[in-house]
Amino acid sequence: MSAGNATLEPLLTWLTLILAQLERTFYKVPGSAVIARYVRSSHQNDPGRTVLELILIVFAVRTLMQSRSRDKSEGKLIKFSEKEIDELIDEWTPEPLSAPLTEWEQRDLASVPVIAGPNGPKPKILSTGKTVINLASYNFAGLAGNEHIKERAIETLRKYGLGSCGPPGFYGTVDVHLELERDIADFLGTESAILYSQGFVTISSVIPAFCKRGDIIVADRAVNFAIQKGIQISRSTVRWYDHNDLKSLEDVLISVEKDRRKRGTPITRRFIITEGIFERDGEIVDLPKLIELKHKYKYRLILDESISFGSVGRTGRGLTELYNVPASQVDMLVGSVANGLCSAGGFCAGSTIVTEHQRINGTSFVFSASMPPLLAVAGSEGISFLRNTPSALTSLQENVRAVRAVLEKTEGIAVVGHRASPIVHFHLKIPCIANGSANGIATNPTTVMPPPTGPSFDYEAEEKILQDIVDDALANGVFITRAKRLRGQEMVETRPTVRIVVTAALTKKEIEKAAGVVKGSVAKVLGKRKA
Amino acid sequence: MPSPIALSPSSPPPSLFLKKKKSSLSQIPPFPTAASYLSALHEADARARGQVVTPTSTPPLSISSSLTSASGDTVLNEPDADRSGLTYPLTAPTSEQVFTTVHTEFGHCANQDYRCVSQHDSEKPVAEHKIEEPPYYILFTTYFSYLLLIIFGHLRDFFGKQFAKSYFTHLVPYNGYAPLNSDFDSFYTRRLKRRMDDCFSYPVTGVAGRTILVYDRYSEDCNYTQMYPGTKTRALNISSYNYLGFAQTSGGCADAVEESIKRYGISMSGTRREGGTCDLHQTAEALVARFVGMEDALISSMGFATNSTFIPALVGKGCLVISDEHNHASIRVGVRQSGAHVRMFKHNDMDSLEALLREVISQGQPRTHRPWKKILVIVEGLYSMEGTMVNLPKVVELKQKYKFYLFVDEAHSIGALGPHGRGVTDYFNIPPRSIDVLMGTFTKSFGAAGGYIAGCKELINSLRLRGHSGPYAEAMTPPVLMQVVASMASIMGVASPTSSNPKASSQALTVAPQADEYIHPGMAPASSLPTWLSLPPSLSDGSEARERIRRLAFNSRYLHAGLNKLGFITYGHPFSPIVPLLIFNPGKMATFARMMRARRPTPIVVVVVAYPATPLVTSRVRFCVSGAHTKDDIDIILRACDEVGDILDLKHGHGERWPLEEIMKRSVELVNSL
Repeated sequence: MSAGNATLEPLLTWLTLILAQLERTFYKVPGSAVIARYVRSSHQNDPGRTVLELILIVFAVRTLMQSRSRDKSEGKLIKFSEKEIDELIDEWTPEPLSAPLTEWEQRDLASVPVIAGPNGPKPKILSTGKTVINLASYNFAGLAGNEHIKERAIETLRKYGLGSCGPPGFYGTVDVHLELERDIADFLGTESAILYSQGFVTISSVIPAFCKRGDIIVADRAVNFAIQKGIQISRSTVRWYDHNDLKSLEDVLISVEKDRRKRGTPITRRFIITEGIFERDGEIVDLPKLIELKHKYKYRLILDESISFGSVGRTGRGLTELYNVPASQVDMLVGSVANGLCSAGGFCAGSTIVTEHQRINGTSFVFSASMPPLLAVAGSEGISFLRNTPSALTSLQENVRAVRAVLEKTEGIAVVGHRASPIVHFHLKIPCIANGSANGIATNPTTVMPPPTGPSFDYEAEEKILQDIVDDALANGVFITRAKRLRGQEMVETRPTVRIVVTAALTKKEIEKAAGVVKGSVAKVLGKRKA
Repeated sequence: MPSPIALSPSSPPPSLFLKKKKSSLSQIPPFPTAASYLSALHEADARARGQVVTPTSTPPLSISSSLTSASGDTVLNEPDADRSGLTYPLTAPTSEQVFTTVHTEFGHCANQDYRCVSQHDSEKPVAEHKIEEPPYYILFTTYFSYLLLIIFGHLRDFFGKQFAKSYFTHLVPYNGYAPLNSDFDSFYTRRLKRRMDDCFSYPVTGVAGRTILVYDRYSEDCNYTQMYPGTKTRALNISSYNYLGFAQTSGGCADAVEESIKRYGISMSGTRREGGTCDLHQTAEALVARFVGMEDALISSMGFATNSTFIPALVGKGCLVISDEHNHASIRVGVRQSGAHVRMFKHNDMDSLEALLREVISQGQPRTHRPWKKILVIVEGLYSMEGTMVNLPKVVELKQKYKFYLFVDEAHSIGALGPHGRGVTDYFNIPPRSIDVLMGTFTKSFGAAGGYIAGCKELINSLRLRGHSGPYAEAMTPPVLMQVVASMASIMGVASPTSSNPKASSQALTVAPQADEYIHPGMAPASSLPTWLSLPPSLSDGSEARERIRRLAFNSRYLHAGLNKLGFITYGHPFSPIVPLLIFNPGKMATFARMMRARRPTPIVVVVVAYPATPLVTSRVRFCVSGAHTKDDIDIILRACDEVGDILDLKHGHGERWPLEEIMKRSVELVNSL
């Protein structure tokens, strides 16, 4: 034993020395006294307390080391052997990538007419070779086929080539883009504007650039598909109000504010999103009232003027001109260069802060090539045409009145939308009633579904009848189209309609004649159905 | 019929490993003044016109000698035009050479040695992408720079809010409105990006070809506002997505576009399914399907929207999308809109992909553990920020085993890769139909705009009907369609209807036996093009486009190899026209861009990218090589990088280094040794 002690003794002394050395070094480290004091005071002659502290430290280290990846299911994975996994892989059979088209879908696809040559007021249809009157294309002011614009486009081609070959951030900002942005801003009377290279993606990029998680969006129930997609991406809290019902909007705005007060949360960004002329049915929003509400409840307004820009107002400036409201009152005014100016692309006009923000945060602005310069020039030329030719908009309005006058007298169909809207929708007066009735739900701003107004419709049956009307009209020399919808992907299913787009490029006589043809087709198709 | 782009009649089949007869350096003419150089050029041009019979069927506009400049800005009153090599080649053309392109748009390069075929050697395995690490002090200083920027940014915010309230009105609540952008979200933009805003969004004019005219600008208030004195500078453009050099104001494509504007106007004024479809759409879609080797194709008027509006029609709830972590934003937007579940795998890492596949198939959907309805793997052919190429053979192999559907985004690779320019499938010689969905854009290689999706007929019809673009988005406009058709037809070559001319198409392209029969990758049957379209012979026999593809391949490889030999760290595949050069420090990045732009006699415009487009440390400059560049242009860029790189301490590569002169002299050897 003592022999054992004797052999251990040098080791023990050595250990003591080491310990003493360590202690000295420890105290030399600046701040070590604090740690020592902390350990001493927490220990307090109670090992339990030290153990607790140690456990806390271990826990903290573990938390820090843990991976921060989102996958909470990682721990819940079912353990399989390699062989089992192989078996599961063998067994798995995926669904086909695309579901086969139904008979109706095939007909729908085949029914799209193909134009031979240029589109305009009187295009030629490829399959029949016949020239028809066009009431389907967005050619409000009659810019399609304008010779001066073509000449300018060719000049631009010879100076700039066709593609811009780059996103705006990387040498894709051509001077003609900036000119068009300035032209749009001048035309509307806003501080500035920003140009996107496709009309459809414009608003679905503008919305998520501003509306983030936690922000509040109050939107119309019948907003177009692009807005729906923008809202979906933004992940904001959405409240819906009844279609074009500003009373309902005000109720929702009040309830949102009440809700916020109750919860005592700080103010977040709040937006009202709606359309100027609804693409879906041609209703026009009461802009002055909307602006009043927006100011009263301190919301920002995102207004989609994709249809109304270039088609209403004295010179086509859109809704703000129609109602004589300064465009600067609309925080983000989104419009389409493709529809209104017969070129391509879209824009968002507003204050400089609004547009500059999008130059970095507008996804489809940043990550996409800018539009071909010659199309931007065509847009600029379109604006100068509108500025100098107010008569185009006057004759457009006359034509709208003429079309509506004929269609409103047509049996069997109901014309919807505002009187001044250059797009005229009509649906069947007597609905095809589907089996089963809609479940009753009260107006609830948290859901997009509108309150039930009557029995639900058999969409496909109505679509088929409307398509018959369209086909018959085309056979008789008038080109119209159903308003095509992505059923199943739209948030709300609306009644199928036929859409007539009025243009200033046709004379009143031609328009009346064309409307008469549509009237005849409606009577023929509906008459056949009755018989 | 030899190509008029670069005609060298007596050139024997280039033997690439022979010692080069003449170095490009020795060709720089000893002209002391611009005037003497110009007169020599005149002489050569006059002689050429006298001797060489120019193609008679070419429309008059496309015959422009090396002296005519179609650009609106006359080149003669540009200072430095003589020495910069921008408006006139440094190497004077010889009497045999006739160039039909404008040198500022598409460089004159007649040397057949400077060509290369972009093709995967099937005997070699697909090279793994190696990433070179910089020294630790670089990483440290990079993190430190960001730390410093953040600290100073917060200090400036703090004091700014106290003393300069007018600058912060949009960041603080006022009058009952919440701020439009929170100061936290916009911190990076205001405090980091603004400092180098002068490197982004340069307004330009003219065509984004080999050179570009940028508007001069300066800022007196730290980039809050930019001042434009109205002057312009012509600079060498190594930034635009102009891979095959189709950004041109003259030539067969531009003529065809002009004709299409006269015939079709500007716009189709409507959506594809609501009366905006014309015969040109059908022509273009059929041609695209042939070009990529699929049954059918559809066209969308915007490249971004092609992904963001058609992916939701492919997958939905209960489906899984497996996406490469570096996939483009448009793919992310599309997937998010679709409602499908998403998982990511490590960039181009096939082991990571396989492990993920095994996990997701065996585990099924989260919580319910039901099997997935379908799994869609989305990869890109060439990644736009990394320049890496997808390991397609391995992905296709995995596809056989794991039964997923494969979506390849060829936005950058179509046109730019493969011996026939048919993209990444052509490069690896993989049958295109072993892939389910091929997507691509027309912005990059074709000098147009928009995008396409190709696949089997049933799929494409379903997308036409169920994709968002069909009923809601404007149709592609006729001039853009025509640019697509003309450039694509010129890459494919047009088989004459009689097919009695085997000589014209003997080289690399197979002759279509009959006009309507098409073997991929073959020539476009003449019947598939509009009858009124008459392409000049050099375009319709495919020889010019073949030159473009080969020049692009050479230039890409040369720049990759040259930068590596100079000691830089680069990313990406040697055949990738995207060449990222790693800079790391954010401060150096902005300085690099400014120094390149300030170089004389040849200013160079470059694209620099940093966080958030790249990981925090790996700020980079991204070169986009074009077939329009000449070897001299790449030399100029290498020289510039060499000098700037020395000043900024950017050379941290570990490989063997060569001096610049040697790289330039042994370029062909270097390109072939990769």
